[in-house]
Amino acid sequence: MPEVLIADDSEFMRNLLREILEEDHQIVGEVENGVEAVETYKEKRPDLVMMDIVMPIRDGIEATDEIKNSDPSANVIMCTSVGQEEKMKEAVKAGADGYITKPFQKPSVMEAIEDVVPS
Amino acid sequence: MKVDIQSLETFNQLAHEGAEQATASMTQMTGIDAIVDVTKISLVNRADVGEELDTQEFVGVQFDYTGELAGETVLVFDRDCSESMIEALLGGASSEEMARSGVKEIGNIMMSGFIDGWADYLGTTIDHSPPTYIEGVGPDVLPDAPEGDEDDHIFVFKSQIEWMDESLEFYIYMLPEYEPLADVMSEHADTEDDAIPIDKLEVFNEMTMRGTETAAENVTMMTGIETEAEVSQISFAPITDVPKQVGNETYVGTVVEFTGVPSGFMMVLFDETSAKNVAEAMMPVEVEGEGLTEQHKMAIEELGNIMTSGFVDGWANVLQTSVDHTPPRLVHDMGRAIIDPLAAQVGQQQEHAFIIDSTMQTDDIEFEAEIHALPNEQQLREALDELMVERADETDADPEEIFQK
Repeated sequence: MPEVLIADDSEFMRNLLREILEEDHQIVGEVENGVEAVETYKEKRPDLVMMDIVMPIRDGIEATDEIKNSDPSANVIMCTSVGQEEKMKEAVKAGADGYITKPFQKPSVMEAIEDVVPS
Repeated sequence: MKVDIQSLETFNQLAHEGAEQATASMTQMTGIDAIVDVTKISLVNRADVGEELDTQEFVGVQFDYTGELAGETVLVFDRDCSESMIEALLGGASSEEMARSGVKEIGNIMMSGFIDGWADYLGTTIDHSPPTYIEGVGPDVLPDAPEGDEDDHIFVFKSQIEWMDESLEFYIYMLPEYEPLADVMSEHADTEDDAIPIDKLEVFNEMTMRGTETAAENVTMMTGIETEAEVSQISFAPITDVPKQVGNETYVGTVVEFTGVPSGFMMVLFDETSAKNVAEAMMPVEVEGEGLTEQHKMAIEELGNIMTSGFVDGWANVLQTSVDHTPPRLVHDMGRAIIDPLAAQVGQQQEHAFIIDSTMQTDDIEFEAEIHALPNEQQLREALDELMVERADETDADPEEIFQK
């Protein structure tokens, strides 16, 4: 099963994503900010990171940039409530592979993952 | 056509002093002590005027006025308030006809003082019609919009007056015709430096309404509760009056600070029952325990986050910029206690503030949500300067399109 790291400061959203993903994926970590996301990625090298943007300490775009710089083959899907075009462009620039806006439903999450990490 | 901040401050002060004059007249006639709590100028869709009157029963008086300013003024008391007032005025039980006559006379004296202040400031005369007695429930007590004008934006001056010893309120609404007021505002503008184009303020208000609709759609998607955006308005009031806008009820919700153009604070607030209902609708399993549990609060925090984004993303997309916001901070307190520190922070830079208020609700369960934004004046002016009216519909962005480029 593909390994997934969930980075979101909202426990509610981490729970929701875990419920959606755990049937077909192995959740290797759940973190609350961008610093923890980078550290956990480097430690566990999961197949995919589901990355929120608005997080304390370091936001998800900065964290994505750092992960992609250290491992260009990393797969990162932004999973965020932010629906701003400029932010989406920043995410592309940081190397994000996909972008899902909250609120979402399971099919749209699975579709985005399939695009980035085909089964 | 532009309106400068100084004019808005002056006009707000005029309306406030007029309301104080009217209140003093009432106190003199009835012996009832009352204070003018809040006076604000709102730019609002004509059909939405008076939505805050809810479902209470009101009586009052209406005047038409003509001159350099033209329009309608309405003074409304809730029915209990009017009965106490008539009792104080007439010293005991009175016939219905006498009570009506009393309301008309009090209204006439109060509103003459209100309108005279405007005439003096403008250096002109403003004639008003004899008072017409009105009664009705909620916003229906206010005069209907002229046919075809329901969707037009108008400036409304609203004063909320509180009796000192009783939890009773009454309101003065001044509904000037748009063009004469805009002309007067332009003529009395002191400076071009801080002028705001009125058409852009209207467009910004429309963008805000679309943001409210997006936030309501997000609530529907997360909870399955069909939610509708109700009202969206931009108001202008002294910073010291801002906390009074939210009221003393206890709210649960989120506060974020947003940075960029515009910048400021945003609150998503639910009354306690609504918060519990909406949080439970978001959860896959039934929650045990009384009141708001940690699980409820987590759900509210995330919902507030998503609603905030839905609200501000449209501004960013139309302005072709980004508006960052902090992670949501959960709040559970009296409305005034929540907004007070935010107003104090904004007030370090300005004496008056624009307040953006939106509400949404549903018929399915008891649920009502309020969104209040408190932008920094300087950044809001910059945002309006940069706003291209022809881009006003470009509130949405499609990630698939951007990621395919």
